Amino acid sequence: MTFVLNSSILESLYPEIFLGLVAFGMLLMGRRVKDWVVYTAVSIISLLISMILLLLFDSSNSSFFGGAFVINNFGLYFALILITSSLYVSFTAGSELKHDPEIFFSIFLFVNVAMIIAAFSLNLIFIFIAFEGISIGTYILSAHGKSKRNLEASAKYFFTGVIATGFIVLGSSFYFLSTGTFNLVSVTSISLINKPSMLLAMILLFVGFGFKLALVPLQQWAVDAYDGTKNPVSAFLSSGTKVLAFLVILRVFLVGFSSMNTDVFYLFTIVSIVTMTYGNFAALSENNLKRMLAYSSIAQAGYLILVLDVVSSNASHFAFTVAIFAAMYYSLVYIFMKGGAFIASGAVREDKIMINDLSGIGLKSPVFAISLGIMMLALAGIPPTAGFFAKYYLFLALISGNLWYLAVIGILNSAISVFYYLKIIVVMFRPATEERDFNLSRPILIPVIIGAAMSIALSFLIYGYPYISSIVAGLGVGV
Amino acid sequence: MLNYAWFIFLTPIIFAPISVIAGKKAKALAGVLASLSILISLILSIVVWLNIRGTSTPIYQAYNWFDNINAGIYVDHLAVVMVLMVSFVSLMIHLFALYYMKDDPRKNTYFGETALFTGGMLGLIIASNLLEFFLFWELVGLCSYLLIGFWFFKPNAASAAKKAFIVTRVGDLLFIIGLAVLYSLLTVQGVSSPLSIPYLINNAPKIATEIGAQNLTIIGLLFLGGAAGKSAQFPLHVWIPDAMEGPTTVSALIHAATMVTAGVYLIARVLPLYANATALAPDAVLYIGAFTALFAGTIGIVVNDLKRILAYSTISQIGYMMAALGMVSTFGESVIGYSIYHLVVHAVFKALLFMAAGVILLSLMELRDVKKMGGLWKRMPVTVSLMFIGSITLAALPPTAAFFSKDTIIDVAYNYFIMNGSNAYSILPWIFLVIGALMTSLYTFRMFFLVALGKPRSKLAEEAKDPPKIVLIPLIILALLSLTLGVVQYRFYDFIVPGTTKVVVPMLAEYTPLTVVVIGLLITIALYATTSWQRINLEKNPVYKLLRAKYFLDALFTRVIAERIILPLSSGVSRVENGFSISIEGTGKGAMGFGGILRKIENGVIEYYFVFLIAGVAILMLLLEILGGI
Repeated sequence: MTFVLNSSILESLYPEIFLGLVAFGMLLMGRRVKDWVVYTAVSIISLLISMILLLLFDSSNSSFFGGAFVINNFGLYFALILITSSLYVSFTAGSELKHDPEIFFSIFLFVNVAMIIAAFSLNLIFIFIAFEGISIGTYILSAHGKSKRNLEASAKYFFTGVIATGFIVLGSSFYFLSTGTFNLVSVTSISLINKPSMLLAMILLFVGFGFKLALVPLQQWAVDAYDGTKNPVSAFLSSGTKVLAFLVILRVFLVGFSSMNTDVFYLFTIVSIVTMTYGNFAALSENNLKRMLAYSSIAQAGYLILVLDVVSSNASHFAFTVAIFAAMYYSLVYIFMKGGAFIASGAVREDKIMINDLSGIGLKSPVFAISLGIMMLALAGIPPTAGFFAKYYLFLALISGNLWYLAVIGILNSAISVFYYLKIIVVMFRPATEERDFNLSRPILIPVIIGAAMSIALSFLIYGYPYISSIVAGLGVGV
Repeated sequence: MLNYAWFIFLTPIIFAPISVIAGKKAKALAGVLASLSILISLILSIVVWLNIRGTSTPIYQAYNWFDNINAGIYVDHLAVVMVLMVSFVSLMIHLFALYYMKDDPRKNTYFGETALFTGGMLGLIIASNLLEFFLFWELVGLCSYLLIGFWFFKPNAASAAKKAFIVTRVGDLLFIIGLAVLYSLLTVQGVSSPLSIPYLINNAPKIATEIGAQNLTIIGLLFLGGAAGKSAQFPLHVWIPDAMEGPTTVSALIHAATMVTAGVYLIARVLPLYANATALAPDAVLYIGAFTALFAGTIGIVVNDLKRILAYSTISQIGYMMAALGMVSTFGESVIGYSIYHLVVHAVFKALLFMAAGVILLSLMELRDVKKMGGLWKRMPVTVSLMFIGSITLAALPPTAAFFSKDTIIDVAYNYFIMNGSNAYSILPWIFLVIGALMTSLYTFRMFFLVALGKPRSKLAEEAKDPPKIVLIPLIILALLSLTLGVVQYRFYDFIVPGTTKVVVPMLAEYTPLTVVVIGLLITIALYATTSWQRINLEKNPVYKLLRAKYFLDALFTRVIAERIILPLSSGVSRVENGFSISIEGTGKGAMGFGGILRKIENGVIEYYFVFLIAGVAILMLLLEILGGI
């Protein structure tokens, strides 16, 4: 492995470098400027610029640092999704901050740097460092505000997160033990079938990375952390970092373990079924809005893992392509519908946001209520929203991969989830029991409307499905 | 570019909502708008008629609707005659309804619905695809339901509307099954637009060889089921008498002149299919038609409700039309001419009779029992004279139009007997139709004499008065037509099916129908023109009881089939359904409870979380050990 920096490598790192510099600049600015609007604007603009830089400099297929850092379209797609998610959250984040916006936003940008790096890394050490960058950043973000609730949530997140980090390190070392390298690409050719240490490495890595996805049995921090932190942070934790964790898992298991995929099939199957079912059932009887959304995001992670079921089951090329397409599409839709739902819960001016607190909002602001309703329908997977098509391709992949039972379980779970998603719509249009003052300022209303609009608009993407799937088939996923 | 013929049916459909909305503000406007739209349809129909009169090329314009269904319009000579009749009769009835419905608070709705109905009926006639045809068929069925139940606050009207809807639904189900069978068989053959009417009627022999005459027979019988439901043929006729609960103009428009003939039109439209099926399909049409003609007539002679007498006569007359169509195997397509001619004549005089009845009922405050009327000729001379013209036309006395149209059908039935081996089986239709003619004469003149002659038998009848002359103009036009339409008989036949020859029968057969009509007239004169009928007591007579009970068919349908078979069945189903929903609720509760248990895991104690995490990972590894095998 040679670490030689030349100009082409530097060019490829422009987005990360740029964001990092802006983040440092923000910390300096914090001495003079305390207005959150400024930081929101700077963060939005710099995220947009980094997106442009990504498109300009990272669109070519190149690999450097001895294959540890690979720039390809698959990674680029996810990097763009992740930054989109950050952009989406930035709209609303500033208005919820009471103090130190410069710290919040600079940490936020650092997390984004780490996310971009993670999206392109194909080396376990690189991934580990990037992942830790995200973890530590989000620990700080969730603690921001320093209220008792924030700190408690952050502490729980931190302590359980540390255990997950331990798993990643342990898994990486087992990986190194069996292959002699941390590089994911170079092991594809080696025959590793039935090597116990390899399977152990798989489980440990899955557990470690799956922590961010809040898969059962690693889900417990999620509910407390989402509930306890500020709405924008919950939105970010449940959309951006989740998609990233999913990408990393997909990467690691598609590339690093491609020769023994089928062995992990059981792992994915069990975890996906348990996670879906747990999330949906627990959400059924939950009265706290944010906790309910947290449970539902656990269930959504279970759906995402279904993709891994397909790709690890020796499925046909068609099923494989559909599954990857479903994963990419689901991730894109997910950041809007889930992020939007968490942001929307900011409309209630309380610490503990109960579902019933939303009653009467349908009369106060029909736009808000309809938008949130659309996102709920999208989460439930009801046509014609994009959420429906995301689930459609997911189940299509399962069925064409001959995993009927998983499709059936997934659909049953979706049916259960309709109950609690629709409950919110019903509550919103119910007359209020008591007079309530909702926070319908622009930083909340506009992202909610955008989320609803995207939940509908993204469904038109499927008209390009034949074209998109041909691209997906040629993506050279992971490599 | 749309052919202007599209607007024959589009105009009333477009005007329907406009007249409902406009009528909300200005009540009088609704009727005017609806009538205007139908006038436009009539003018367009006349233009179409003038255009295609000299040629045999129909107007055909169709676009791909979806998949292999082409939808559009198809106007040939048969269709143009029908649209002329429907738009004309509908216009007359609309004009009369301006008077008849003038005091109704919801008359904007009424006119909107009748305009929609007329549009649907016109669309049905010129539809170029059977699927499109079926949609319009359902649309008129819906309008019929709405209009029968127009006075929904009357419990009778509401239940009659329901009955009409449900009974015709049985027919519609058969019809759509027939459509599905035809569609699937032809799609297998690779036909590009399987349900397109021009394709079906131009390629009938080819279709018969491709899919088999047997299959075509099944399709024909299913279509006949649909036609029997809509056109009230035995045994699905039970809804029409009840449908008389609607406004009388509705009865005139829908249940006498236009919608009930849709079934006849359906069979006439696809008659080539019947001609190429095995003999069973046309025979079924013939025998059901002929039997209905007789059967409904026998009930008609004992009914006392003025409108129901007319309803049974409608069923009976449609039986004649059906019977004529059923003789297609012997006479070829010229039977369409015989049938449709009677259809048009019937529409004219039946609309006249219904509207005359409407005037009488309006004057008698909806008293409908003919036994309580009497002496009305003196009190309402114009109306009852118009009714007289309608009655002699219904009874087919010369020189009215029905004398030509109906007697031709009876004569054709006689020729059918001669040309089909002169056996007992093939003479049945003729016998049915001749006795049916006797029945027609009996119930018609019984009704007329009870209404018109003698002394008033109720206080209301004593005070009856003619309405203003101007509102009777539509009736007068129809009366003139029913007297004079006979002169176009053979030109009409020739227009519909070129080369129809004159029907010639032996003298004896030729005069039989007229003779039985005169016999009927004499009997009714003896009984009902005097007061002798009041001395007859038939209450104990078993035949009378049977007829009064309408052959117990209504009882069979409601008490046996509905109450004994369908109700227990549906209650059984609903019990299962109920159990199902209870179990669903149980599942819901169980799921909630389970969710509650799951949530208890999230108790906020972090040490507990660690235990759960490690234990969970351990279990996961154990499971993998068992399943995957390290």
